[in-house]
Amino acid sequence: MAAVERKQKRVLWAISIPMAILALSAVYPIFFTINAALKTRKGFVLDRFGLATDPTFANFSQAWNQSRLSEYFTNSVVVTIGAVLLLLLVSSLAGYALAILRFRGSKLIFTIILVSLMIPVQVVLVPFYRTMIALDLINSRAGLIIAYTAFFLPFSVYLMTAFYARLPRELFEAAQIDGAGLVQVWWHIMLPMGKPALITLGILNTLYCWNDLLISLLVLQDQRTLMVGIAALRGEYTTNVPLLAAGICLAAAPIVIIYMIFQRQIVSGIAVGAVKG
Amino acid sequence: MKATNRTLRAGTMLAAAFTLAIGFAGTASADTTLTVWDWKNGDPVTADYYAAVKKDFEAAHPGVTVKYVMQPHDQYYTLLGTAISSGQGPDVVLLHGGSQAKERVSALTKLDDKVADIKGTVAGWDEFTGADGGLYAVPISIQGFAVYYNKDLFAKAGLDPEKTPKSWADLSATAEALKKAGVAPFALGNKEGFGADFFLSAVAANGWTKAQQDAWTKGDLKWSSPEVKAIVQAWVDTKGAGWYADGANSTAKFMDEYESFERGENAQTIGLISDVAHWKEFDEFLGADKVGVYVMPPIAGGDGSLKLPLAGGIGYGVTKFSPNQDLAADLVKSFADTDHMKIFFETAGAIPANTKVDTSDTKSPSAKVILAWLSDGVPLAHNNMSTAEVEEWHRQSQLLFTGETTVDKAVARLDDVQAQSKKK
Repeated sequence: MAAVERKQKRVLWAISIPMAILALSAVYPIFFTINAALKTRKGFVLDRFGLATDPTFANFSQAWNQSRLSEYFTNSVVVTIGAVLLLLLVSSLAGYALAILRFRGSKLIFTIILVSLMIPVQVVLVPFYRTMIALDLINSRAGLIIAYTAFFLPFSVYLMTAFYARLPRELFEAAQIDGAGLVQVWWHIMLPMGKPALITLGILNTLYCWNDLLISLLVLQDQRTLMVGIAALRGEYTTNVPLLAAGICLAAAPIVIIYMIFQRQIVSGIAVGAVKG
Repeated sequence: MKATNRTLRAGTMLAAAFTLAIGFAGTASADTTLTVWDWKNGDPVTADYYAAVKKDFEAAHPGVTVKYVMQPHDQYYTLLGTAISSGQGPDVVLLHGGSQAKERVSALTKLDDKVADIKGTVAGWDEFTGADGGLYAVPISIQGFAVYYNKDLFAKAGLDPEKTPKSWADLSATAEALKKAGVAPFALGNKEGFGADFFLSAVAANGWTKAQQDAWTKGDLKWSSPEVKAIVQAWVDTKGAGWYADGANSTAKFMDEYESFERGENAQTIGLISDVAHWKEFDEFLGADKVGVYVMPPIAGGDGSLKLPLAGGIGYGVTKFSPNQDLAADLVKSFADTDHMKIFFETAGAIPANTKVDTSDTKSPSAKVILAWLSDGVPLAHNNMSTAEVEEWHRQSQLLFTGETTVDKAVARLDDVQAQSKKK
């Protein structure tokens, strides 16, 4: 018995050591970034990897005020909230229609949505940009909200359709027998029942919108979002690494907080997405 | 459950309202906004300069707001290209002097009439002059290459820290003394080939005659000609003689090379006089009294005088599609205004394009030396090469260091590229 326990302990150690190294490799960049953010540029150049012995928060205030991350932060918050709310609304309605209403051509529409999931954003950038110019949506936050909604909608619709398709059809039929119209069924039955999927979608789309660089770079050329602001902290030839690190910390903070609060839903979101439609 | 339902319903209702509200927000404004695109205004060292320009301009033009938009530098010209092709975007744009400005002349407003009053006080116009002879941007900085050195390391090698090399023989003797003292004579980063650019321009500056510089610009002075080949040979010889710290081909010039110099690991570096890798930065790390500066002597030739290789640095232009042409032109001039340029010089360390800036109270010994050189400069050779030639020189310079090519083969290849570029 003791021999078995010893063997188990050895196996545990054998697994734990490489896992610890792996964990360290994931944690170290975060530590490096925070440590660098607490150094002056001179302190960083003279000792890149050492601990910040005389920590300063000046980089955070410089990034926030002089590099205008506060302004970009507001833009990011506005477009992320706007896009996520719009995505939830549209995908919930579309999912309801495709999964429950079963109208003529619904399968074709669902197939088209699935196909559009397979098209990378980069492939459609040129026609997308031309369309945005034609619609006069360049340099408007509404334009970016619409762009995010368009790009992230196929996945959202797919997820909501898959989720609603799992619900018992009797719920819909019972509500109709009780005299509820289509909109009333969506409002009173589908929206509340779709809460788990909507929460998951909300979290995932928040991450997509908040972290996006490419679409924002094209659409909001005059008012920046936070991620583009962070990218702009990399200079022409030189980069003030402590300032950049402080900017990264500020940008990551809201997402880290959201993740910490909703980590169970984020993980379960993967399972929701895997449900067969 | 009821509470959740209410929240969900409220959320969906809010979505439409929120989007509509944002869509309308900011579309109507009674005031004029001048939008400025660049890659500099968010840098803390330039913050005072940009704040002063904005404050003074808005005070002088009531109802006008100056809006700075800092773009990521690596995407800057792509974004500017999309703005130009769509015919809408910023009123004022920052451009590098030389090809970046000249290639975009068709999208910029000719400023000759607007800048007539400051033309005599601002230097560096050539880099922003179109093929038609018109001026398309107002320079705010001057670019140039100087050799900065660490006086402490010179002293350690038994050299007189106040005596700088005046000839190639002096420079070689200096390098030998430093090597003997266990100090790498030069910091060098040639990962992207920039180290080779700097070497070429610095060495050619005082070795080529005016006629040779002109011939080089036209593509008539071949790489295989004795004057140019000697520089390529010197590039190889100096490496062989141990002038550089190890790993030059894997060291980024910006900023690994300069940071290495700032840490006191190498005695000398070919640096800039604009707002990066310059006297102010080196003063901060090594101490102003410990930093010296000199002009790189030529391998051979020249008239004995050592002039700084110079060119216009960066400048602001007005886009043709700006609906506020006169205001934008005023703003562009404001960037080069004497008082504002003084702030740019003092906080960012950039040598200003405005020659009227009072720099008499400058404390830095190296800045004083550089300022004294500005009145009489010579061309930057690598600025007058085609893009294809620059890229090929980057590649060949690295192959020469690794021994994968010879000087003869390298110059023959560069001759071909030069000839092809000239045909175009």
